[in-house]
Amino acid sequence: MEKYFDLSYLWGAIPALLPFLKVTFTFVFWSVLFGTLLGLLLTWMKIQPKNWIKKIAEGYTTVLRCTPSIVLLFLVYYGIPYIFMTFGVNIHHIEKIIFVIIAFTLQFAAIISEVFRSSYDALDKGQIEAGLSVGMTPFQVFRRIIFPQAFLIALPNFGNSFVLLLHEGAIAYTIGLIDVVGKAELIIADNFNTHALEIFLALAFIYWILSLCIEKVFQWLEKIFRKGHIV
Amino acid sequence: MTNGLDYPFLFKTFFVALSGVPIALLVTIVALLFALPTGFAFALSSLNNVPFIKQFVRLYISFVRGTPVIVQIFVVYSSVPLLLDIFFTTNNINVNVYDVHPIWYAFIIFAFNTTAILIEVFRSALSAVDRSQIEAAYAVGLNSVQAYRRIVIPQALIVAMPNLCTATINLVKATSLGYAISLHEITLKAKVAANVNYNYVEAYIDIFIVYLILCMVIEFLFRQYEKKLSKYKMQPSAA
Repeated sequence: MEKYFDLSYLWGAIPALLPFLKVTFTFVFWSVLFGTLLGLLLTWMKIQPKNWIKKIAEGYTTVLRCTPSIVLLFLVYYGIPYIFMTFGVNIHHIEKIIFVIIAFTLQFAAIISEVFRSSYDALDKGQIEAGLSVGMTPFQVFRRIIFPQAFLIALPNFGNSFVLLLHEGAIAYTIGLIDVVGKAELIIADNFNTHALEIFLALAFIYWILSLCIEKVFQWLEKIFRKGHIV
Repeated sequence: MTNGLDYPFLFKTFFVALSGVPIALLVTIVALLFALPTGFAFALSSLNNVPFIKQFVRLYISFVRGTPVIVQIFVVYSSVPLLLDIFFTTNNINVNVYDVHPIWYAFIIFAFNTTAILIEVFRSALSAVDRSQIEAAYAVGLNSVQAYRRIVIPQALIVAMPNLCTATINLVKATSLGYAISLHEITLKAKVAANVNYNYVEAYIDIFIVYLILCMVIEFLFRQYEKKLSKYKMQPSAA
């Protein structure tokens, strides 16, 4: 009788899975990049005095926070081609990774805009007035006074959000993207659905190590940027 | 591809998706009922430097926070049946593992996951209460249980409330991954309904609305409860 649990499958799976991290990294990278840009825009909208611009940004965050990633992913995956279809444009041939990037950009923007807003809130606003009173332009105040401080406050939470996105990104396989999870599913299918546990454990270890590494990198970054700051 | 949204289907499927809410809520509540006391106990033990538990908690939290929920689901769903099977055969219990309802696995997975999250929540909430208050409580003759029950917990709870709300909402959202273990909750029910005519856009709009309502109700309830608790709110110390 064959063994239920065979460690050799676990070790065998890791080299087979690792090349597919490239796909995972690709969409996580672009989602974080675009998400940060959109998140900055949302933050700018949120720090406006009370008006409809602020309401839109807050509403967006609430709605996105209430949507499970898988629902968002499928809404994007089925919804966007559908919207394009109504204008008579067929975009069914474009790559799946594009939909994944769009979905997670939308999600990351909502998460990160809260991070940015709270780090902005943590700053003493008298500094803005002080900056303006010595003749700086509003952009200079932002660039030289607000940004360096807000950046440092936001950094740990940015790291957490980054790891969170990596984890949420694990469901990208559901629309058929062959990332590291998708590859794990394929390996299991090749083994006729046996030894699933070993492969999934390999997957869990890869994610675990990766998350720890990202955490360390952000701690290191924080240490670097904290230099010269008065705590 | 159809022209325009299928509104009758959109309307009908909304109620199909809605019928998945009790399952999603059941999983959430069972997971929370397990995780609240367990999480609190672990948080307390690790704060008080209980040997082994502290290290175990650190490893456990690191794993849960370091891996995606879907991967945790995969691992549990492929390991627990094996263990159960061994358990059943050694104890001569005549139950087929494949007949175990997926909701039991959902309970295990989400309780496992939420406990780790709540340990963190309680740990930060408990350490927000000034240590000297416990000493003061001992000084006036309260025992440990009384000190925690009357002094620390009421204050820690209000600190923990926003994070508990977030954890609950994340848990509700995470139940949408129950499709992976063929748990018939909101997402899977609507998706099955959509399989007939490929009305996925409509189905996902419905699911989206259901989760939106669900989360907003939860957020509202938490805010009400927080208001009720706010009489225990710590006064900001005069600077």
